[in-house]
Amino acid sequence: MDPQEYQQLEQQITPPTPYVKNVLKAFLVGGIICTIGQAITYFFIIFFDFTDKTAGNATVATMVFISMLLTGFGLYRKLGQFAGAGSAVPVTGFGNAVISAAIEYRTEGLVLGVGSNMFKLAGSVILFGVGSAFFIALIKLILVSVGVLEW
Amino acid sequence: MKKMAFTLFLIPFFLIGCSNEQTIQILNESGDEEKRAEVEEMIKNTEEVYTGTAIFVEDELLVAIQVKPWLGFKERKVEKRLQKEIEEKYPDLNVVVSTDYKMHWETQKLLEEEDQKKVSEKVDKLKKLAKEET
Repeated sequence: MDPQEYQQLEQQITPPTPYVKNVLKAFLVGGIICTIGQAITYFFIIFFDFTDKTAGNATVATMVFISMLLTGFGLYRKLGQFAGAGSAVPVTGFGNAVISAAIEYRTEGLVLGVGSNMFKLAGSVILFGVGSAFFIALIKLILVSVGVLEW
Repeated sequence: MKKMAFTLFLIPFFLIGCSNEQTIQILNESGDEEKRAEVEEMIKNTEEVYTGTAIFVEDELLVAIQVKPWLGFKERKVEKRLQKEIEEKYPDLNVVVSTDYKMHWETQKLLEEEDQKKVSEKVDKLKKLAKEET
């Protein structure tokens, strides 16, 4: 059997990926997570002294806290298996990436284990997030000083 | 059958978006009817707004507006424009225009408040909140 034949055979046997179904699942679960986030925002606005502008921080903290609990109890993994990107793209996915790494490397000690491995996956998110924010701010600064936009 | 039921279930959600009536409520504690009518007219003329609440207390004016959902990205501009308009017309009034949901919620509660002193205190507090950044 040469490589080409093997490839053909492999393609015949592998079940087709249910793209549409996966996309729908991710859409629904991601949407539900965001709805919960929105509900928490309204909760903070209505019952505490937060405004639209300031409720965001508190909401993110709460969502990460919830995802921490779910990760610790092993429920977020199941959600991730079911929904894929739908559970990874919202901030809860980021929290999951940090916390699961922290749990995993706990046995290797606090400094060399947890400390150095916590941001293994999430570190790139932070790096590129801060980096792109810097460049966008730079572009906006240039546009404002030229006079195209206002702050 | 299940699909049909699901679709029927969703229809009201789409139809809710069709009502485009503006509701404007004004609480006037300073007793100047002319100002009240003009501010109401100003809010009415702002097309992007679907609900507005204005609270007059002494020389303070707090206007809470909600911008139509699809025009949310214009929020800041609408806010600024209305603020400027009112300020130009009444330079002696201390005006804050806000599109914040918090303002909308609290002013709705204030509409039923009877005690003027409480209203005044609350308006001061809300104005401080509106300026807060962190």
